[in-house]
Amino acid sequence: MDELTREFLIESQEGLDRMERCMTELEERPKDTALLSEIFRSVHTIKGTTGFLGFKRLEKLAHAGENLLGLLREGKLEAAPPVITVLLELLDGLRAILKAIESEGGEGEGEDASLIGRLEALQAPAQLVTKQPAQEKAPKTQTSNARRKGAPGKKQAPPASEAAVAAVPEEAQAKAQPKQAKVQQAPPAPQQSSAPAAAEKKEVAAAAVATGEEESQKAHPPVSTAAESTLRVDVTLLNRMMNLVGELVLTRNQILQATASDPGMTQLSRRLDMVTADLRESVMKARMQPVSNIFSKMPRMLRDLCQVLNRRVRLLIEGQETELDKSLLEAIKDPLTHAVRNSLDHGIEPPEARVAAGKDPEGTLKLRASHEGSHVVVEVQDDGAGIQVEKVRRKAIERGLITADRAAWMSERELLQFLFVPGFSTASAVTNVSGRGVGMDVVRTNVERIGGKVEIDSKPGQGTTLRMRIPLTLAIIPALIVRSLDQSFAVPQGSLSEFVHIPPEQADKAIEWMEGAPLYRLRGRLLPLVFLEGLLKPGADCSVVQQRDNFIAVLDTEGRSFGLVVDGLADPEEIVVKPLSAVLKDIGIYSGATVLGNGELALILDPGSIAVKAGIRLSSEEERADADDDVEQEQASRVEYLLVEAAGRPAAVPLADVLRIEQVPLGRIEYIGFRPVLNFEGQLLPIEDAGGVLNPPGSAVESGERQIIVVVCREGSRQVGITVSHVLDVAAGSDLFEAGTCQQAGGVTLLKERVTGVVNLGGVPPLEVPQPDCGDWSLKVEAAG
Amino acid sequence: MRKVAGGKRGERAATALVELCSVRVGNTLYGVPIAHILEIVGSSRPHPVPLAPAYVGGLVHYRGDVLTTVSLRQLLGSEPKAGAQAILVLESAAQSCFGLLVDSVSEVLTVSSADYEPNPSTLDERRRSLFAGAYKLKEGLLVMLDPERLDPMRLSAQSAA
Repeated sequence: MDELTREFLIESQEGLDRMERCMTELEERPKDTALLSEIFRSVHTIKGTTGFLGFKRLEKLAHAGENLLGLLREGKLEAAPPVITVLLELLDGLRAILKAIESEGGEGEGEDASLIGRLEALQAPAQLVTKQPAQEKAPKTQTSNARRKGAPGKKQAPPASEAAVAAVPEEAQAKAQPKQAKVQQAPPAPQQSSAPAAAEKKEVAAAAVATGEEESQKAHPPVSTAAESTLRVDVTLLNRMMNLVGELVLTRNQILQATASDPGMTQLSRRLDMVTADLRESVMKARMQPVSNIFSKMPRMLRDLCQVLNRRVRLLIEGQETELDKSLLEAIKDPLTHAVRNSLDHGIEPPEARVAAGKDPEGTLKLRASHEGSHVVVEVQDDGAGIQVEKVRRKAIERGLITADRAAWMSERELLQFLFVPGFSTASAVTNVSGRGVGMDVVRTNVERIGGKVEIDSKPGQGTTLRMRIPLTLAIIPALIVRSLDQSFAVPQGSLSEFVHIPPEQADKAIEWMEGAPLYRLRGRLLPLVFLEGLLKPGADCSVVQQRDNFIAVLDTEGRSFGLVVDGLADPEEIVVKPLSAVLKDIGIYSGATVLGNGELALILDPGSIAVKAGIRLSSEEERADADDDVEQEQASRVEYLLVEAAGRPAAVPLADVLRIEQVPLGRIEYIGFRPVLNFEGQLLPIEDAGGVLNPPGSAVESGERQIIVVVCREGSRQVGITVSHVLDVAAGSDLFEAGTCQQAGGVTLLKERVTGVVNLGGVPPLEVPQPDCGDWSLKVEAAG
Repeated sequence: MRKVAGGKRGERAATALVELCSVRVGNTLYGVPIAHILEIVGSSRPHPVPLAPAYVGGLVHYRGDVLTTVSLRQLLGSEPKAGAQAILVLESAAQSCFGLLVDSVSEVLTVSSADYEPNPSTLDERRRSLFAGAYKLKEGLLVMLDPERLDPMRLSAQSAA
């Protein structure tokens, strides 16, 4: 395929994607001329270019569509549902031909006569808006309307149809053949983008486009500013770049460790560190795309499904600007489609049933995307009938997945997990939309393949929520390195909730045994333990806990929580995930491998599979809910503080404001006049030394070697450093009230039963504004001249 | 088609030359066609993988990828060798790469297809499935290895069957 054709294909696909989006909106606002113009442009561009490339079938179909769209745009025809249905068919028809061109190089043999016939039938005079009988065949009269070019805004349009015509911004319409007018003045609507290149790129591009460029009569795609600021890049090239950046991250890690002892190299490797981090971020950004790319396909699908299934559904979309790695976006496309299908077929009831149940006949389907830590959460929520847990239980027993008595004590949450078993369906009849029991299995497999998780929540009668938690990126994840069997293993930090250290002398007592099952009391609850060594070396006897330091990594994964006992703990690292060969993946407890900073290889443990392998039960929902409630209640009334000690006195810093804690040699603190400052990663950080840590009383002149601790905090838009002697703990503080008043005392909090002063970050005076410097500069320039 | 015909002619002419890299495991000399070798890593200690099948020699880091290695020694049921071993990075079908752990690597030999003999029927079944015949050299026999047959994917499929 030559370059020109490929370019054409990509552009046309984008155009059709845009058209699809507009089409569903058009159904709600049939008079929106901006939408109509947008759709018209998409089809028109295809038609123009095909003629040039010689795709006759495509041209014929696009031409028929364009004629109909022309009438719509001129307001001679109203965009009633049957018209939209045919236009959607046109869209599918165009797509099919484009697909044929892409795969076979030719337009294929299909016959479009019937579609073209329907397109033309709609243009018949009977269908036209009756109020303008004269305009249909008389292009001359139309010019009078078109001349009113001072009315390009769509908002002014009164409801009457003739007014809609007036609002259509046409000035070039005065040609002999109004239906084929090729020069269009684009109305300045925000959602239009006349440059096809823009769709792939982000809003930046889209915003830059609204220049109202005229689509030229020639077949060449219009040139606009978007084409200059964006660039089409092959995804494989981006993948390759990502791999290389991954390698760079590894090499950096190694260099950082190797040069730690050499001060000269430390400086250099710090720079390398920064550059690598920046580079990584930009490459990752280049791969990011808003989820609207897949969300926007949903309205159309929903419309079709509603017609097939006789449902009335309102679609709400939230957070479609949330960005996700391109490959991940591709990976969740199918799961999302399945989830929406499921919601419509099994979730939302037909209107009559909804009315009978006392609900709004129109169901609501909510698609929501949001960031949550290092994950993106995509939710599909419906207000339908929910899942009958009893049905699931019966079906699971029927299919022999569990025994009846086991089913009896399984929690709802556990039972719902059966929905993900291949071939499991509670639907009594298979429809052509869903019910074959494949959907949920696909959802889980696809999401887990990319390191995500799926959860399902359902309340009978109220609806179902399917939640997919997707990692932001695949390649690089933060992990904690643990040791066992004299080897390093990486535990992804996403599933790690806390770490417990058991000193040697407490080892026997802390770990309790219940007939061979090791347990640990974690804040009053029994936590099942898994010995990593025992898991990796079947037959090894772990029943005698060794008298040495033991560490329990408390892992929480897919609703199962357990403690993984390891021998040792190394630093957390950002690791680059390398895939394992299928042979090793099949073992089931490794999700990949990585190269550590010291050059050693480490296997990445898969907490989910370990839990399943060790037979850890899902913790019941009530327990989790309880735990969550406790935490929430606590958090609602309390603010977390970082408890520090400065020159013997305790002080508290609001944890939310703490950015990082740095240990720096005293010599790195410099002074501007009397103000201590720290040159921190190339930026000047004012240092607050209220506690007198820098110059402890009674100390003589010191060498710059002494290490001091600086807590870097956020204060408004700037950052300040607080010097402290020790960082003690993190604790939640309670408000204090002055006796006899109900007024909250400011500046103090009750931390660990002690009244503690809160450091007033706002009180740190800003550094001087460098206005006087200007004078100095000019003086210097003069002196230099 | 032309390729197959060419191969047949070559056999009939009986003088087709094959270049092999000879490696040693225990007392036996093996040969690997050099076209399949991407790189020879002199000495390395592969990272062990607990719970892996016996024939897996461990993992090695090779140009940004983590490769699974197959230990020829363990594949043939011998004890793993202590100390460093040599690794041949091999490419099998479909661009998949893996490492082959051997005791030592010696020179590249050019052998004539006239000296080739298929596996003898007396060889036990396991070895018959791994070896691809032998070349009769002056110094002794050189056992042919076929990277396709040593691919860990294939080995795992076999052991599962």
